[in-house]
Amino acid sequence: MSLNKRTERRIKLRIALILAAVCGLLLTEACGVRSDMQDQPRYKAYKQSDFFTDKRASRDHPEGTVARGQLDENKAFYTGKIDNPDPNAQAATSTDANGNTVVASFPNAITEFPLPVTKELIDRGEERYKIYCMVCHGQFGDGDGMVVRRGFPQPPTYHDDRLRNAPVGHFFDVITNGWGKMNPYGYQVQPADRWAIVAYIRTLQLSRNPEANLKMTSSANSNTTSATDPAKPAAPAANTATTKGGAK
Amino acid sequence: MAQIFRKSANNIAKISMISVVLLAGVGFYTWTQLARSSYLTGQYLEIQQPVQFSHKHHVGDDGIDCRYCHQTVETTASAGMPSTQTCMNCHSQLWADAPYLEPIRASFRDNKPIQWNRVHDLPEYVYFNHSIHIAKGVGCSTCHGPVDKMPTVYEENTLQMEWCIQCHREPEKFIRPKSEVFNMAYRADDTDQATRDQLKVDYKIRSREMLTSCSTCHR
Repeated sequence: MSLNKRTERRIKLRIALILAAVCGLLLTEACGVRSDMQDQPRYKAYKQSDFFTDKRASRDHPEGTVARGQLDENKAFYTGKIDNPDPNAQAATSTDANGNTVVASFPNAITEFPLPVTKELIDRGEERYKIYCMVCHGQFGDGDGMVVRRGFPQPPTYHDDRLRNAPVGHFFDVITNGWGKMNPYGYQVQPADRWAIVAYIRTLQLSRNPEANLKMTSSANSNTTSATDPAKPAAPAANTATTKGGAK
Repeated sequence: MAQIFRKSANNIAKISMISVVLLAGVGFYTWTQLARSSYLTGQYLEIQQPVQFSHKHHVGDDGIDCRYCHQTVETTASAGMPSTQTCMNCHSQLWADAPYLEPIRASFRDNKPIQWNRVHDLPEYVYFNHSIHIAKGVGCSTCHGPVDKMPTVYEENTLQMEWCIQCHREPEKFIRPKSEVFNMAYRADDTDQATRDQLKVDYKIRSREMLTSCSTCHR
């Protein structure tokens, strides 16, 4: 009819044990105990490595090696320069009103875009310009960006004859390698995006000086004949401005 | 044979049965709330860094775009941490002598990376990719909160699966036009529901079944 006391005690003990185990499990769960699944022994981006002496899991290319697809054979596209027939040609410099040393002649810089200049390229350029360039060069290229207002030495404006006449390769070279107080941006901005930014700088220059017959032509795309028409490249910028204004 | 239990044992039996159920319920509820608490998830916990870097100053006051420093956010899984050279783009000139920027200068001088402390640490059984979220119109602030107002960055959200899945179930409630992805001033109701439904179609966001399938995030 009834269990004897010993069996009863054994059952009670078992229940207590199970309860304690469940409670313990819940408690460790609640304490957020991390298991191996959460921190796996593999490298994610920027993780620390105990194997390499500099402790970086993300490695640089070994010196003297070229990764697949990064031979960058097209010199004009990847440097904005060509070999000048005159090997002694040197870039001349002068000093501007702000005391900056500026380039006055551009013997090696290419004068035509090495890729088709399209509305998409200029739009992309506008977007990239506003990320990487606007902080110093200002929204319209006057050299009055927020960082300059905080005390960074003022860069020259794009809207003077020297830079209006400067070849596109010069802008590309300065973005890639920097100039004066400006650090190189080559590691931050991809080559195609640098050309897009150059196209947008040209658009900014045209917007202030619509009569100028700036060379917006592209050697790679003969279809963009309208690009020589100075009114045409300025038009996309005007369109973008309208859409932006309408969206807000 | 004598009775084992007295009459009052009936009451004790009833009360203990009820209280076991009640206690289990209360215990379970406490557990779920504990697991969600900021104490355990690290939500809202400000993580101190080796340099007193303020997103509020750089993003909020100076208006620098997220991508100026987090360059790879549109193209790779990781948003990208800026190299010390990115800091030096400005700080070679600005606050170039400030003592609290010494770790930056030391890093640049000695070519040693700054060891930032991770704020958002997803478990490694989660496959997460920033670029796809950017490409489908998920704004930075949707997950990271008002970073432009954070002097010290903290986790705005728990990063728990229930948080991820609410957007994977109904992305049309959270997405925004791609042009607004990096806009920190954007508010969720700046775009109406009909437009967002259309965005879901335009951006070819996959079905709820696909987005909530296990292997979408665990692979």
